[in-house]
Amino acid sequence: MKQRPPRYSAARLVSRAARKRVWPRVWREAPLRNSYDVVVIGGGVHGLATAYYLAANHGITNVAVLEKSYLGSGGSGRNTAILRSNYLTPEGVIFYDRSLDLYRTMAIDLNMNVMFSRRGHITLAHSDASLRTMHWRAEVNKLQGVDSSVIGPADIKKLAPVLDTSSHPRYPILGALYHPPGGIIRHDAVVWGYARGADTLGVEMHQKTEVVDIKVTGGDGPGGKGPGGRVTGVRTNRGDISAPVVVNCTAGWASLISDMAGVKLPISTRPLQAAVTEPVKVFLPVVVVSGTLHVYVSQTARGELVFGASVDPYNTYNIRGSLEFTEGTAGHLLELMPGISRMRLLRQWAGLCDMTPDYSPVMGFTPVEGFLCDVGWGTYGFKAGPVSGEQMAEAIATQRTPDLIGPFSLSRFERDALVGEKGAAAVGH
Amino acid sequence: MTRLPAQPGEVIDRSRPVDFTWNGQAMSGFAGDTVASALVAGGVRVVSRSMKYRRPRGYISNDYWDPNGLVQVGDEPNVRSAHRLIEPGMAVEAQNVWPSLERDLRAVTGLASRFLTAGFYYKTFMRPAWLWPTYEKVLATFSPGGRIDPDTPHRYHDKRYAHPDVVVAGGGPTGMAAALAAAGAGARVLLVEHCHRLGGHLLWGDEHDRALAAELAAAVETAGVEVLVDSTVAGRYEDNWTGIVQRSHPVAVERLVKARAKVLIVAPGLIERPYVFDGNDKPGVMLSGAVRRFVNMYAVRPGSAAVLFTANPDGDAAAIDLERAGAEVTVVDARRGEGIVRALGGSKGVEGVVLADGRRLDCDLLVTAAGWTAPTSLLNMSGDRPVYDEAAARFFPSVSIGNVLATGGLAGDGTLDELIEHAMATGRLAAARARAVSHRLQAATARAVPVNGEEPEWPVDERPDLARDPHPALFRSTTHGVVDFSEDVSSKDMVGAAAEGYDSVELLKRYTTATMGPSQGKLETVNTVAVLAEARGQTIAEVGTTVWRPPYAPVTMGALGGRLFEPVRVSSIHPWHEANGAVFMLAGQWIRPDHYGDPAGEALNTRQNVGIMDVTPLGKLDLRGPDVPQLLSHLYTNKWMKLAVGSVRYGIMCGEDGVILDDGVTGRIGDQHYMMTTTSSGAATVWEWAENWLQTEHPDWRVHVTPVTSGYTSINVAGPKSRTLVRRLVGDVDLDPEAFRYMQVRTATVAGIRDCFMWRIGFTGELSFELHVPAGHGLTVWEALLEAGEDLGIRPFGVECQRIMRLEKGHFIVGQDTDGLTKLPAVGMPHLLKLDKPDFAGKPELTWALDDTSTPVLVAIQPTDPSVVPDEASQIVRPGTDEIIGRITSSRMSPTLERSVCLGQVLPEVSRPGSELTVVMIDGRRITARVMEHHAHIDPEGERVRG
Repeated sequence: MKQRPPRYSAARLVSRAARKRVWPRVWREAPLRNSYDVVVIGGGVHGLATAYYLAANHGITNVAVLEKSYLGSGGSGRNTAILRSNYLTPEGVIFYDRSLDLYRTMAIDLNMNVMFSRRGHITLAHSDASLRTMHWRAEVNKLQGVDSSVIGPADIKKLAPVLDTSSHPRYPILGALYHPPGGIIRHDAVVWGYARGADTLGVEMHQKTEVVDIKVTGGDGPGGKGPGGRVTGVRTNRGDISAPVVVNCTAGWASLISDMAGVKLPISTRPLQAAVTEPVKVFLPVVVVSGTLHVYVSQTARGELVFGASVDPYNTYNIRGSLEFTEGTAGHLLELMPGISRMRLLRQWAGLCDMTPDYSPVMGFTPVEGFLCDVGWGTYGFKAGPVSGEQMAEAIATQRTPDLIGPFSLSRFERDALVGEKGAAAVGH
Repeated sequence: MTRLPAQPGEVIDRSRPVDFTWNGQAMSGFAGDTVASALVAGGVRVVSRSMKYRRPRGYISNDYWDPNGLVQVGDEPNVRSAHRLIEPGMAVEAQNVWPSLERDLRAVTGLASRFLTAGFYYKTFMRPAWLWPTYEKVLATFSPGGRIDPDTPHRYHDKRYAHPDVVVAGGGPTGMAAALAAAGAGARVLLVEHCHRLGGHLLWGDEHDRALAAELAAAVETAGVEVLVDSTVAGRYEDNWTGIVQRSHPVAVERLVKARAKVLIVAPGLIERPYVFDGNDKPGVMLSGAVRRFVNMYAVRPGSAAVLFTANPDGDAAAIDLERAGAEVTVVDARRGEGIVRALGGSKGVEGVVLADGRRLDCDLLVTAAGWTAPTSLLNMSGDRPVYDEAAARFFPSVSIGNVLATGGLAGDGTLDELIEHAMATGRLAAARARAVSHRLQAATARAVPVNGEEPEWPVDERPDLARDPHPALFRSTTHGVVDFSEDVSSKDMVGAAAEGYDSVELLKRYTTATMGPSQGKLETVNTVAVLAEARGQTIAEVGTTVWRPPYAPVTMGALGGRLFEPVRVSSIHPWHEANGAVFMLAGQWIRPDHYGDPAGEALNTRQNVGIMDVTPLGKLDLRGPDVPQLLSHLYTNKWMKLAVGSVRYGIMCGEDGVILDDGVTGRIGDQHYMMTTTSSGAATVWEWAENWLQTEHPDWRVHVTPVTSGYTSINVAGPKSRTLVRRLVGDVDLDPEAFRYMQVRTATVAGIRDCFMWRIGFTGELSFELHVPAGHGLTVWEALLEAGEDLGIRPFGVECQRIMRLEKGHFIVGQDTDGLTKLPAVGMPHLLKLDKPDFAGKPELTWALDDTSTPVLVAIQPTDPSVVPDEASQIVRPGTDEIIGRITSSRMSPTLERSVCLGQVLPEVSRPGSELTVVMIDGRRITARVMEHHAHIDPEGERVRG
């Protein structure tokens, strides 16, 4: 029986400091074993949440999370940490709202302050067409019980005085979809919180452990892989592991990992860029999104503006930033808020996004028995991390697809039953 | 106060005093002073407070990277005060202090610093959950940085494209030498220097150094090298695309210079590394370079009793400079095994130092010369991963990149002569490689003029290797001190974080935020890695370094955004609209009349008499060539091979997913000449779509597509009296209903304007003629129509009226009544889907979609209560539940029918005529409505349009 680590609290912070006691490791390092009940590939929010909920909700603790770099090194640490549930389709709204619920109680559930700032989220409309879409989203949201409404320029100016709501010639701010429960969070803390929570329950996290092959037998494809087969384990740079269940929770390389099992995914991979400015005193208390201008921006508690745009228009695994991105996005931000002209961009970076044809994920079982996917998360994976983990864990534990992720099954591409989130998800941060 | 008598290398102009203010108090300096030198000359020691513990801070590196030197200047935050020159009247303030720099009440956090270790916030403020928003607000008051004024305008910033062969980043001795050699070898060279003048470290060196700097700078001036000072190569991107920020430009606030460097030479020199020990952030603890710049360039003595901890000749030189400036100097020499462990002193700054041997020395200036950091950012951006050299105690580039060459301190050490020799060789190599690159680029480009000569051989790098001077590995003393000054992170924080498992450099960085502040780790990265290595019992090489991402130095949003080129478009009739009471709307890039005060009246008049509308934004593509029918058949879902000259056809385009992309009419004007119209918002998309097929899949099709949207002014003449009106202005076309039928096109002379074309179509549902007039004559024809139609009751109408009328007629709008999932079968026009065609965009998906019974279809809807107009986007639900089964996509009060009319999407199960629907209004009320038999609420048989 592993000893439970001490809980985090202000009182313990003081008492441990007073006694000069060092905090134990946030997650422990264990030797890599050659067999687990479940192997999760990918140590980001999705993989860690899946592992955590397997242990927490279903008592399945003989689980290893394999991460080829360090935990949170992929999209989980590269996104702009915006959370919301004001999607366009009822399926999307219900799904993301469950995620928002889990985020809301996460600090207490995981005993790690993930600093969820429920500051409100506004999506600007610059034309009557986009105003109409905002109304559409608001109406769908309201029917699902989600706090969401369309507000006018005067209210927008109150929420974000830096926005230029004058009768601007090119991109007037005609209104906005206002979503008070939306906000931002400390994305790394979410990763660490899940890792710590999973560790406490007995899950092992293995960093610098890269899966180089997935072992499948009995399948129709070459080497016994592919549809009809069943998974028996993985091969890593640190040795072979046998496992009856292998879950692909990767992003950026999801299609390559699934290829290892002989499962083809309709995914193309594109870079998504983001940048951060130097800090200044807080002036922007809400998250601001403009779909027309392809930009979303928020100011962190540290005072930095964090912003991003839509995915780059080409497929590549290259994650270097481009000058065009910073030029274009800065120009668009200045259209909205000229007052930030003298702020300085401090750092830019890129991450990889696995795009599916309908801007919705691929979740659940695949034609290879024991091989599950939680992939294709495009530009919206971070906000869905908790609910995805919860639902994937349920799928693994119960061997059936939970209703919430039913619409996202891989088989929808055969049935031509695509999900209609493209409009809301494309730049809908 | 501490200003020295004239120094031989000073860069200030004592004949030009400059007055400015510091926190409201009058200060004075000289032209050429930085804010820092003027402040220190005026006796200022404390310039900022640290982020977390609000500890007083003074200058440490006295250059652009100084983490303690960020100040507010007017409305500009985070100004680098050791780089920015003073200007008359400049208002400089300390940032983020409360209530004042001298007494910051938030310094109470310093008392609790033992508990507030890095990342403490992840461990607390969790309960009670309802208090978190309050905690959040308190934490936000600690956010560092200056302030912006939301009302500050985005002033004039500019951009420029430069076309040099070689870009040299760094105007020190090696940068200048490399530039000279490259220029001498025939290359066009752009030399970029971060500081205000060329010279680099020679500027604060001895007389030989200064003489060399002057000599090189003079040579650069006559060599035809373009020089940008106070400018930074901020980023190197794919294919040597470089972004250079030019901060001092005569007109623009800043200018972004973009250059595709055939070869980039990276010569930024070295950055001095702070030493980590207890109290190392006290005001008065400075790096040797900081001291030398103060004394030699600005004639400022930063202290009178100095202790100087040195491990290298630069530290030794600082001792000489200080002594010459009249300071007492005690040297503590690391090379003799001496060391410092703790700085003493209170809030006003350093008062003494404890040495490793236990001695205690008094001082008001503690100088460290503990080694160097190689700013390899631009090399990182080119794909290099620097490798640590233990003997030299710094990182070096590891990869050879063909078109990015490093020289100077990045490449190694040596005498100035040796370094300059290496730089000259680098410049020559760069010029030669630039020629080779240039040849390759020409060869790869389709050109009419053939390239001369064979491709030159790729010039081999035969530069002599520079030596690497051994240097003591000095990172941290035996005590803990500050590692990251911007972020207030101590080595103790880092050791604790590593023990908690944040023990890779990336995790440590994310957890402690070390290296993530405004100085971007320029001063801190190597110490961060060293402390982590020590904590883990590994070597620095094993731990490795973080990835330095662009930009090299922070760049203003203004410089990146530049001038905001966001065009708006108006038609040639726009002045008339403005003069005649039009209320405008924005539609994509177009500004167009929404109405002229009374949209319902405009609609009634158009139904009864005649109305004209400016429909210029309608997308127009001129198609020519023998294979146009092929193209049309491929883009549209219906048949186009047999469209006769003079005929017009309506078509819908779908994407490859079968989803409706656009719609419009195309007419055949001549044998091989067609005119296609698209929706106003779809004009660019359809053009790209057509070109995409022509260029990638069917390059054999002989079709020219020319967008002519703005080339024609388009006017819709609609209403029962429209023929009478058009007849008055058109003499060369037989307008008899039998001669010019519905869905036909004619070229015509309208009001004396030749080369117009017109067609009979009817989006409004009325008899109508759409006139397309060469744009320059649009206003003439518009006014002629108004004049000729006066007795017919002519009135202009706008977009709103058109929307009312098209809705009455049941015409859908792509993107409003359809959405990202609406496939062709959903809009109830089966005659437009011809699956017996060989192939067209979307055919396979549409074939499958025919069997689909689960997705919504478009229907006309009328509310039971004719006076109720449900808002567009109102949802349709299953009665008694919140289950969504459809939505209203368009709704208006119909002035013709005097009742509300709608289009909507509903699930097939409730789409039959007569089905009763429950509509949820935006205010929450639920109303009933009925599905209609036809999309058209008016004239479903289409008698009016055919009239």
